[in-house]
This record gives sequence, structure tokens and C-alpha cells, in this order.
Amino acid sequence: MAELESRLVNCFATAFPELAPQEIPSASMASLASWDSLAGITLLSLIEEEFGIAISPDDSADLVSFELIFDYLKDHPQGLRSEAAE
Amino acid sequence: MQIRKPGTVRAVSCYTPRKKLSLPLSQAHGWNILSSRCVRSVRQALEDMKLAEALKIIQSAPPDSPRLEVALLCGFTPLHLETFFRAELCKLFPERSPHVQTGLYDDLIGNLQRVTDVLAAIAVVEWPDLDPRLGLRRLGGWEPSQLQDILKEVKRNCDRLQDAIATAATAIPLVVSFPTLPLPPVSFTKLARASEFTLEIQSCVASLSARLSRIRGVRVLDSERLDVLSTGRRLDVNSDLSSGFPYTVTHASALAELLAKLVLNRQPKKGLITDLDDTLWRGILGEVGVEGISWDLDNHSQIHGLYQQLLHSLAASGTLIAVASKNDRSLVEEAFAAREPILGETDIFPLEVHWNRKSESVSRILAAWNISADDVVCVDDSPMDLAEIKAVHPRTECLLFPHDNPQAAYELLEQIRDLFGKDEVSEEDSLRASSLRANVDWRMHLDEASFSAPDDFIRHIDGKLTLSSQKQPLDSRVLELVNKTNQFNLNGRRFQEQEWRNLIDVPNVVLVAASYRDKYGPLGKIAVIAGEIVNTNGGNGSSSGKRRLCIRSWVMSCRAFSRLIEYECIRWLFTRLDVEELEFDFVPTARNTPMQNFLQQIRDAPAGPHCRLSRAQFAENCPTLSHAVEESPNG
Repeated sequence: MAELESRLVNCFATAFPELAPQEIPSASMASLASWDSLAGITLLSLIEEEFGIAISPDDSADLVSFELIFDYLKDHPQGLRSEAAE
Repeated sequence: MQIRKPGTVRAVSCYTPRKKLSLPLSQAHGWNILSSRCVRSVRQALEDMKLAEALKIIQSAPPDSPRLEVALLCGFTPLHLETFFRAELCKLFPERSPHVQTGLYDDLIGNLQRVTDVLAAIAVVEWPDLDPRLGLRRLGGWEPSQLQDILKEVKRNCDRLQDAIATAATAIPLVVSFPTLPLPPVSFTKLARASEFTLEIQSCVASLSARLSRIRGVRVLDSERLDVLSTGRRLDVNSDLSSGFPYTVTHASALAELLAKLVLNRQPKKGLITDLDDTLWRGILGEVGVEGISWDLDNHSQIHGLYQQLLHSLAASGTLIAVASKNDRSLVEEAFAAREPILGETDIFPLEVHWNRKSESVSRILAAWNISADDVVCVDDSPMDLAEIKAVHPRTECLLFPHDNPQAAYELLEQIRDLFGKDEVSEEDSLRASSLRANVDWRMHLDEASFSAPDDFIRHIDGKLTLSSQKQPLDSRVLELVNKTNQFNLNGRRFQEQEWRNLIDVPNVVLVAASYRDKYGPLGKIAVIAGEIVNTNGGNGSSSGKRRLCIRSWVMSCRAFSRLIEYECIRWLFTRLDVEELEFDFVPTARNTPMQNFLQQIRDAPAGPHCRLSRAQFAENCPTLSHAVEESPNG
């Protein structure tokens, strides 16, 4: 789980470079002004790229915070591709 | 294949059946022996740029560097295409800070009409721009009875697009990409069968592409090249429906890479140095004799004929071609005379044939051409000879001719065409090789002339200088000279097309282009001066006070050296523009020593930034001039 969280933090850091590392775990669409709809698409694309998964449009609508995305990734382990396995 | 540094491709070794390319990297001095076979394989191995990588490139761009404003215009949400495009610009323009302007959704033509204040614009056309029914976000109907109406609408929008692009291109260089996505299943035929409807639509787009490609300032993206780079699925239905961005990430990455390259529009290489045996022809001349060499189907050596054909074509479009071969010179001359290769002796200058090291030949060829190693490509079938050249001339591009692998050799031909590709062939291009030859004759005569009176010799060659001060239409040869000349160059400043337009379009800026010919033949357009007339009282132009010309850019081709043309240009400026003083926006560079020397001689003082030359100083230090000078509307 620590590896998953670390990779997710990297995705957030790339999508929102203005965020300090300690702010990332509490980041959400409601609390972060730069997290608009286009930034959200970029973030989810980065996550798809990093974890080798495809997030359905229905799920995308609900993934509006670090915590929710982290939970989503934990619940979909079959699609996750670890770097070590590549 | 071994890739030592993925992501940067600094050094590779490549497989060939004989493993001739597997040079130890330690011997290769970090150079890329890239047969085109390797280029494609390396690309596949490294895959497209990742989105995360693109964002990191953008975030690491120096924020305080000069802005590079480019417009990316499309009818869809540009999203990742914009990200990749900006990242590619960051890579291609490392000293600039790229800013990408985008337009309104679903209004490509309006975006083209509104674009302004950018150095270049990209128009990315997709099917819905030609008729919204060809996109996935509208439900206008795909009934057979509607197909004719869709076709009619596509034709109408092609005409509108042509007008909008042609108008925008009068002010801004434009790159255009035509639909890269598959058409949706609109027609009633099976997918494997091309319907009349589909073919008609594709024909409309092809016709529009051809019409636009003829417009100066418009560069159309080659869809075949995109096919090589973007081999996977292109349409992302989920993304199109949810966000209006229709491309897969990999397709966006490949398309952005090509678009950015077209914005950069890299200057072509100037000269190619080729080996002979097992390169220009099949066979070792010294072993098989004049009759044993070949470049035809019968002898399974057609690829060498194709290589000759390409080099002949390059020579005809202004590329300098020389030979560096370890061979018996008399035998080589006999081979050219008896066998008449497609690449004839008249295409080649100089012919360096002896048994000394190849690097020595390259040194002499560079001296004869008077160009730098950066501008040169060497092609040889021997990795060792290429390595030896590279060790002495590290900035040359060295390409291995894989003579035993026609497929790889063909891909090399494509790579060579790309390295020498240019927007158009000018009159100067056809003159270049012959004027270089004439230059050698000229220098021989100059050396023979009395050393105490070189001006006398100049007087006897009937030099004629033709000067033009026309600014419009933009002369691509003028910009090419400014961007390619290194030695007689005031400051080494390079310009994107739009930057150049911005400079010369200022009303009190004067642009002078000079063409030259003498009894040894024409040199074509060889010098450019751009400067701003200011009044020393502070006002601009011709109001009262002392007039000064502040020269921002001054270049002269090295082919025109030693003819006193630079003095004649200055005399013309003083006389014709009625200025009392010239100010030079001089910046020393690693290669503009001829300019520094000239300024020092004519001013009797070292050259420095904003140094000046008065009319009196010029009269005192100018040698006797004897050119016939005439003015022409277009040089």
C-alpha cells in the first residue's frame, strides 16, 4: 500500500506542482482551486498511465479527492501494474 | 540492439547481418551511428513521450527566458495535445519559454480569423470541423439520404477553411494537420469496402491539402509520416464523449512531435560527403574493375542506383555533394567517364580520392565548401572510416550505408531526404555548386595576381552588384541567408519567420538584399542588411537632424568574400539612404571573425557592441571600388 500511495502522490505532484508534499494527501477538488475539470482529466490520465488502468467515465465523476482515488485504486488491484512487474 | 541511455538516445549500436554497426561505444565518442533502421527501432523501443514526462518537461522550463508564443487552433478540446505540443516546443527551443494559445471549442475557422501576436500557428483539422455529423458529439443523422448533404457541407467548409488559412498565412506562418482520425461509420458499406462517399470526402481533403501547400507560409503535415509514428489506436471514444478530446494519449504525443518539428522548421544540412565503393556503387573498384561495379536490378544492386538518384536530386536542389574515397584516382575518373553514374561528375565537388585518411579528405572538402562540420553529413559503408571522421570532426553527422540490407539502406535514403529537406528550391540553390567551383578558379587567379594590387584584380572581373530594398512579399532566401550565415554575420542572431516579419515591417526599417555576378558566373543573392533609420535628435525617419542607420542584421555568404562587396554595400547605404553614420548591433560570436576583422579595418578600431562608422571614416578607409551597381525591385 505504501508503494501505491507513493506512486499516487507522484501523480498529484505532477498534475499540481504548486502543492507541497504534505498537502497532497488532503487534496480535493473542493479545497484546491487549480483542480478544475481539465486538471481533473489530466490527473486521471496520469493515474491511468502510471497504473496501467482505464478508469470508466462513470467512476471518473466520483474521483474528486486524493483519498477517494486512493480507495478506488485499492479496490481495483487487478488493473494495477507495478513497476517491478514491467 | 542496445540502448545505453533510454530517453536520450545518445549512443546506440545496431544489428546488421554482418554486425558492422556494433562499434564499441567507447570508440564512438558519443556519436550516433544511426542507420534509419535504428531510428525506427529506437523509436519503438522508447515509445512515445508519456504524459507525466511531458508535464515535467514543461514544469522544468526556465520561467524567465524569452516567451515563444504559438497558437494551437482546433475545434476540439486541445487538452493533452496542448500538453505534449508545449513539451515538444520546450525540447526544441530550450532557451525559450513556450506559451501555447488555444481558441474556442467548435470554432476552428473563427479561431483562425482571430489569431494574432504569435510566431506561428497550428491548425488541427478533424472531421467534425468539416461537418459536425462526422463527429461523435452530435446526433445529426447518418442516413443514406443525408450522405450527399454531408458531402456538400464538407466541400463548403473546405472552401471556408482555405480562405481562413490563406488569410491567416499572410501574417503568420501556419502549420496545418488534416484529419488524422478514422471516419465514423457513416456510410452504408461494409468497413472493408471504401464507399464512394468516403472516397469523395477524402478527395476533398486531399485537394484542399494540395491547394494550401502551394501557399507561401503554409506547411501541411505529412500524414504518411504520422502513420510511421502513430501506429496504435488513435480515437479515444471515452475521452471524446466525456471531455471533447478525441485522441488517445499516444496519438496526441506522436502528432504533437511532428507539429512542433514543423514549427521549428530546422535548417537543412548543406553538404553530403559520400564514399564510393559499396556505397555509391556496389563493388570494390580496385578489385572488380570499372566494368565490375554496378547499381542495377540485374546485379542486385539497385539500392545503390536509388542512392545515386537521391544524391543527384539533392545536387539539383542546391545540396553540396563531395566524394571522399580511398581509391586510385585515375581508376575512379575512368569509372565516371566510362560508366556514367546517375550522380555525375558535374554534381560532385570536390572529388577527394587517395589513400590517406578520410578525415583529411573531409577537412579539405569543408575548406573548399567553406562551411562548418555541423552542416555536413558523411555517408560510408565502413564504420571504422566513419569513426575516424567523427573523431576529427565530431560535429559531422555520420551515417552508415548498410549495403547488404536494401531495406535498411532505403530507410537511410528517407533519413537523408529528411536531413536535407527544404520548403522550396530557389534560384540560388541551382547556382551553389557551380559558383563554388567558380570560386576555386577565382581564388587561383587571385593568388596569381600581384599581391601588392589585389584591387586591380577585382577591377578586372567585371563584378556587378544588384541591390533591392523591397520588403514584400517576404523573400525566403533572405531569411535563409540570415539564419544560415555564420562567418560574416553581425551578431549571429537567428529569426523565426514571424520575428523577421516583425522586424522588417516597422516603417523606418530598411531591408537591403544584394545579388552578385562577375565573369566567373552568378552567385545569386549573397547579402542582407536590415536596419532602422533614426534621427540623432531622437526622432525617427527623415525629420530634421543627423540621420543614422542602426544595423540590426547584416550577413554575407562566404561565397562572396574577397570581392569588396561589403564595402560597396556600405557605400550604397551612405549614398542612397543619405545617412551620416552607421551603428552596428555587433555581438562577437565564436564564428564571426570575418565580420570583426572588417569592422576593425574600416573603423580603425576594435569592433564592439553598438560601434559606429561615420561617412568620413568610411571615405578614409574604403579601398577603391569598381563594381557596377544597379537597383532592382526584387534583387
